[in-house]
This record gives sequence, structure tokens and C-alpha cells, in this order.
Amino acid sequence: MTEAHGVEELEKRYGSDWQFLAAARARGEHQSRRLADACRSLVPPDTSLVVFGSLARKEFTEGSDIDWTLLVDGITIPEHAMIARKIGEKLDELESKPPGRTGTFGNIASSHNLIHFIGGEDDTNGNTTRRSLLLLEAKAIGDLAAFTRVRNNILKRFLEEDLGLWRRSTLTKVPHFLLNDFARYWRTMTVDFADKQHDRFHDGFALRNIKLRFSRKLMYISGLLACFRCQLDYPDLEARLDFFDRENSVAVTDHVRRSLDKTPLDSLADTLDRYVEKPAAIRALFDAYDGFMGILSDSDKRARLERLAPKDLASDPIYKDAREISHVFADAVETIFLTADNPVGKLTIRYGVF
Amino acid sequence: MSVLGYSTGAIALGDFSRAITLLSNYAFGAIELSALRVGEVAPLIDALPTLDLSRYSYISFHAPSFFEADEEGMLIRLLNILPDSWPIVLHPDAIHDPSLWEHLAPRLAIENMDRRKGTGRSADELADFFTILPAAKMCLDLGHARQVDSSMVGAYQLLRAFGDRIVQLHVSEVDTFNRHDLISRAAEIAFCQIRQFIPPSAAVILESRVQESEIQSEAEKVWKILHGDADFFRAESFLSQA
Repeated sequence: MTEAHGVEELEKRYGSDWQFLAAARARGEHQSRRLADACRSLVPPDTSLVVFGSLARKEFTEGSDIDWTLLVDGITIPEHAMIARKIGEKLDELESKPPGRTGTFGNIASSHNLIHFIGGEDDTNGNTTRRSLLLLEAKAIGDLAAFTRVRNNILKRFLEEDLGLWRRSTLTKVPHFLLNDFARYWRTMTVDFADKQHDRFHDGFALRNIKLRFSRKLMYISGLLACFRCQLDYPDLEARLDFFDRENSVAVTDHVRRSLDKTPLDSLADTLDRYVEKPAAIRALFDAYDGFMGILSDSDKRARLERLAPKDLASDPIYKDAREISHVFADAVETIFLTADNPVGKLTIRYGVF
Repeated sequence: MSVLGYSTGAIALGDFSRAITLLSNYAFGAIELSALRVGEVAPLIDALPTLDLSRYSYISFHAPSFFEADEEGMLIRLLNILPDSWPIVLHPDAIHDPSLWEHLAPRLAIENMDRRKGTGRSADELADFFTILPAAKMCLDLGHARQVDSSMVGAYQLLRAFGDRIVQLHVSEVDTFNRHDLISRAAEIAFCQIRQFIPPSAAVILESRVQESEIQSEAEKVWKILHGDADFFRAESFLSQA
């Protein structure tokens, strides 16, 4: 397979200027370096400092918060709690916006629950969230050994326990167990959106709504694509059946991991560039996403959206603008993903909904 | 895998003479002479003319895992004395001045590191060393690779990236405290998952710290892991006529 194609390559090819995406990417890389410098001496062996959300996606803007966790994969010691507090203090010193209020971030996470509790009663909302984000939009700051190990083990579990994936009579190779967990998380986010609205009396509703329309949806798309690449990257039936042999499970895990290692936008750019010949829709999709980043990058607009009361939504020009851009994004997504005239659309129709 | 044998350090740490004597009771085709401390190198090299290594078709030499910068030149001069055909296993993090190793590079087998080390553990980290010393070969330590990434995806990445450089394996359990131990059932399962990607020409060197009574059973276990069948190995038998 040829070299990966990312957002920048797509931007050049289309002669576009996705300036807000570029700025957010640069800002994210800068912030990651600051974080690494500040926390390097704090993170002990068998742990990784993991960031999620906009920083991991390289969509970091001035108003972005930093969702993080100290991921422990090894001997657990009481000092981990103190180290997590110190990391929080370091982030305060960097004047970063603190993590959200759900308690999912800003603390310790153990690899045990992430690897062993997939589905069933022990798989709490927080555990599902951490696991899904670890796969879909996470990045280790500093030493990434524990992060990589946990992520690979989670992926391996999803893939090895997917009986259909290894069956030679299954000709289309899409890892259902993994895909269904991504789908479940996407629906969980949408339900939790309504729950937050209920709990917080519409505080931050407009901003969360816009994020749901863009970055949250993008996350689900990147999860779908990671699953679909199993099929798309092996168009020859015999080669595909040979590759998806149980003896080859580490190679298959590595294949899926490589898709998930990309940021969701890079993964999208790479897959669409390789497999979808719909330049107008692709360009519209990325133009819209750049527009979304433009709104989030503008402190005044972002602050306004954060404060906006639901009764003012219909009349607010910023929200209206954001909503219109989100419709362009949704239309482009529909043109690509919900039409059967391209391989990504076919797979989405077949596996992405039912 | 072509030949199998032990590291002398696994049999008798710091006492190569005793290890070679013990191993002479078996029909292994490979051996690694281990000099993990700087002070062990010169005595081992001095003793080479007196050692009967004729039974081994594959011999490698494990260079010290740590040395000071001012010892590096002297160490390289000593290593130069070794026969050209012996791969020299070297820990990448031990290197102070890579330029000093350039002429030895084709004989070096750079080893992937355990999780204590801040570098040389993953394919990405090792790539830097092979950029600096492009002619170097590699020693894939399966225990280290599993310790760093228990999913074995990391080991697969090492094999994928450097398969054509791999001249030998190190095989053992590596425990939480980074000690080489007898291979556990979990390690067996893990190693089986990547055996098909291992170059057939790679020599297998066991680093499991074994008692004398465990030398054969551990070797049989490793052969079975890497080949999926111990019968062939039993037929060949490690036990010499002695």
C-alpha cells in the first residue's frame, strides 16, 4: 500500500485552504510538547499520561480543555493517586482548561477494566467512554509504552473474539464486535448529550450540540473506517481470506491499529482519497469541518455558544451559522456514506446501521 | 529456526567455563558466549583458544550491557579480536559514540530492549539505531518484546520492520523485575502468535535461567513453541552420547 494520505495532502490536491484546521493542528502539537515537558518527570514506569479529545485529534483551540488520564498497566501503587493530582496541578500551571465534570477524566484508569470489561454489567458508562476514546481519539504524552500495550490488547480482544472474522466462509471481513462497540459508543454520546441537557439545565447546550454534529460524528466515522479498511485494503478475495487467518491475528490487529493511530480527520482523508471518487462531496466535507474549527477557534463565538440559552438558539446568528455548516457536513457525509455508488457507502449501508 | 542453544549466562551467570562444560552434555547447535560486564570480556576472549566450541554451528558473543564512555574504545578493540563470523549482540542503549561502532556494524546484532529502558524497545525506537548503523543486524528478544507489549503486536512490528536483519532470537520469560525466567504458559501462547513471522534462518538462544535438570525440558518447550511440534526435536535429541 502506498504512503498514508492525510489532511494536508488532500488540502494541497484540492487547492483548498483549511486554515483553521492547520492552526488547530499546530496549536495541538505545541500544547502536547508543553505538556510532555511539564509532566515528563512525573509519569512512572508502567503508566502513560494519555490525553483525549481535541488535543489527541490535533484540533486544539484556545478554548479547548485537556481531558487526560494516568493509564496504569502494571503494579498499582497508592502513589499513583498522588501522581495524578500532581499532573492536574501541572496542567493548572500551564493554564489549561480543566477536564469536563463527569469524572471520566483527570484521574487514574486501570488497564484491567479496559481490557476485561467489554459489555456486560461491569462495563460502566465511564469504562465504555475511556475504552472507546482510547481507541478512537487518544494520544500518549511522553512514554507511550503502556498506552500502546493497553490499546493493542483491547484491540486484540475485540478481534480475536470475533468468530466470524476468522471464518473462511465469511467473505467480507468487517470486525463486527469492534464496530458494534463503536456504534454503541456513538449512540451513548448522543444519549448522554440529552442527559447533560437534563442535568445541567441547558448550560453549554449549543456548544455540545455543534460538537455532536461535527467532532463526535467524525469520531464514529473514523471507527467505522478502521473496521471497513479490513475489507477495503484487501480487495483480492484469496489474499483477504489468507490474511484473516487466526494464526495471523497479531498482523490483523496491527492493521486495524494503524488506522486508529491516525487522527480521525487523517483517517477520513486517507480512506476517502483512496476509495471514494467524489471530490465535490469530500471537499465540501472538509470545508465544513474547517468552518467548524473556525467557529471554535474564535473565542467570542465559542464563549457565546457556551452561554447560549435554548430559547435564543433560533435567532442567534452564530448558532445559525454553525448549524448551517453542520448541514453541509451532514449532506457530504450522506453523499459519501449513505449512497451505494462507492465502496465506503456500500459498507456503511450494509454494516453501519443495522 | 535453524539451530538452538543457550546463552552461557543463563546456565551459569559470570562463569562461562562451567556453562560450556554443562552444555557439552547436550547436542545443541548454537551457543551465545555471554560477557554482560566489562570485566568479563577480556578473560573470555583470552580463554577462547582453550574452549571446545567445535560442536556449534552458530556462535554469538553478548557484549556488556553497560560500559562507560571511556571504556568504549577498549571494548571495541577487544570485540574486534572475535572471529568475523560471530555476531556480537549489543544493547543499543549502551552505545555512547555510534561512530566508533561503524566498522563493526555488519557483525553487530542490536537487541530490542526491556521496558526499563527509555529507548530501543519498539520498532520506532530501534529504527533510529539502524539509521545510525545501517549495516547492523538484529537480535530479537522475544521476552523483552512481550514485556514491552504483551499483545505481541510490538513483536510483530519488530519482525515486520527488521525481519531481514534478524540473525538470532533471545527466548525466555522476562518477569516484572526484568529477570529472565522459565517460560510460562502465557509466554508460550504469546510466542506462538508470532512464530510464523520469524525468519527461518534465525538461531534461537535461550536466556531462561535454568537449573541443570531443566536444560533439556526448557529447550524442548522452546522448540515446540517455535515449531509447533516437539517430536522432531526429541528425535534429534539434545543428549549427546556422553
